[in-house]
Amino acid sequence: MTLVAGLRAAAYGVPFQPVAGVHGSDLAALNGWQKIKDPYGSGKDVYVIPAISPDVAVIHANEVDEHGNARVLGSPFWDHPLTRAAKRVLVTAERLVPSAALAAQPELTLVPGFMVEAAAVVPRGAWPGSMHPLYEVDYPAVEAYLRDEDGALEAHLAAAPEQSKK
Amino acid sequence: MQSDWTPFSYIVVNLARQIRPGEIAFSGVNSTPAMLACLLAKRAYDFHFTYLNVAGGVEPVPKNIPHSSSDPALVAGSPAIFGNEDFYDLCARGGLDLVYLGCAQVDGEGRTNVSVIGDWKNPKVRLPGGGGAAVMMPTAKRVVTWRTEHSTRTLVEKLDFVTAAGNLQTVVTPIAVFQKRAGRLALEFWNPQVALDEVARRTGFRFDASGAQPAAPISARERAALDSLDPRGEFAAGLRA
Repeated sequence: MTLVAGLRAAAYGVPFQPVAGVHGSDLAALNGWQKIKDPYGSGKDVYVIPAISPDVAVIHANEVDEHGNARVLGSPFWDHPLTRAAKRVLVTAERLVPSAALAAQPELTLVPGFMVEAAAVVPRGAWPGSMHPLYEVDYPAVEAYLRDEDGALEAHLAAAPEQSKK
Repeated sequence: MQSDWTPFSYIVVNLARQIRPGEIAFSGVNSTPAMLACLLAKRAYDFHFTYLNVAGGVEPVPKNIPHSSSDPALVAGSPAIFGNEDFYDLCARGGLDLVYLGCAQVDGEGRTNVSVIGDWKNPKVRLPGGGGAAVMMPTAKRVVTWRTEHSTRTLVEKLDFVTAAGNLQTVVTPIAVFQKRAGRLALEFWNPQVALDEVARRTGFRFDASGAQPAAPISARERAALDSLDPRGEFAAGLRA
């Protein structure tokens, strides 16, 4: 949540963002977060988190058109503040669709194309994670790459959907 | 006293028993026992409460119970998606009544460590981090945590690192339920399958045990709800303490 406060600061174009809570946590001293008095006199002290502007944000979308307009179905998690805070935005998507399909319901477009530098069509690109509503988490694949044994990572990479497409 | 508690059922049922009528309750990432507790409460208790989760679900009716408490399967049946920005902001402005937050260590004042075992700069174990706990614990009305291991290295007098402090109210383990009273965790219930002095021996912080009682047995409806959530015993097998 403090991370998101930093992203929001960048997205809002301000140097820092107040955030609720944090009082009593060692994270404040560790990260050098400052606490300021409410300048409007409520008497409350509020932690402020410095702006975080990622060099690149990469998000996975359900659909993208040739202009980079990207539609995300299901929960957007942190896609909104992340894409607004980043200096560059890259999109991978399950499939390419005509622009008219996105224009028919523009409120489902999470990132407009003018903000997107490049897009790639990567079916099952969220694997072994899930992509609502197309596929669920592949738990056996997650458990396989977590094994502490030689070759686990290589086997995982070899099983990726983009490998089997060739 | 006879009782058929297992470590798994004791944790999940006692987590569920913390929910009060009318509340808005929330379960987050890496919180399978809390997810199961909220789903159990929906099936076993007659009162209404609102269940939100980290996947964005609002009153979900999942068809399958996922292994992960952040699985988008926990959005199934939701009339709305209330995503990360929304539920954190709701908590920040005081709108979450009951928040389940996991921990690696908890101290006698109800502060938690999810950051590091050992020194920050030279850690023995680097932990995954609070995932918003530092914001949620001071702003949620009540926070409940749990540990599947009840030992002097998990329930400690002094934390290796304070990730979050604030409104922690309840700690549930396979053998105990602690409630905060006057700023300290006090024993409320223990699992009658163990002796009271075993709870003290396995707890690293000093606590008040006056008024503590053996936990009420699991009810038939709690048992039925738990069985329906874990028909093949997979979750129970993953939580043998």
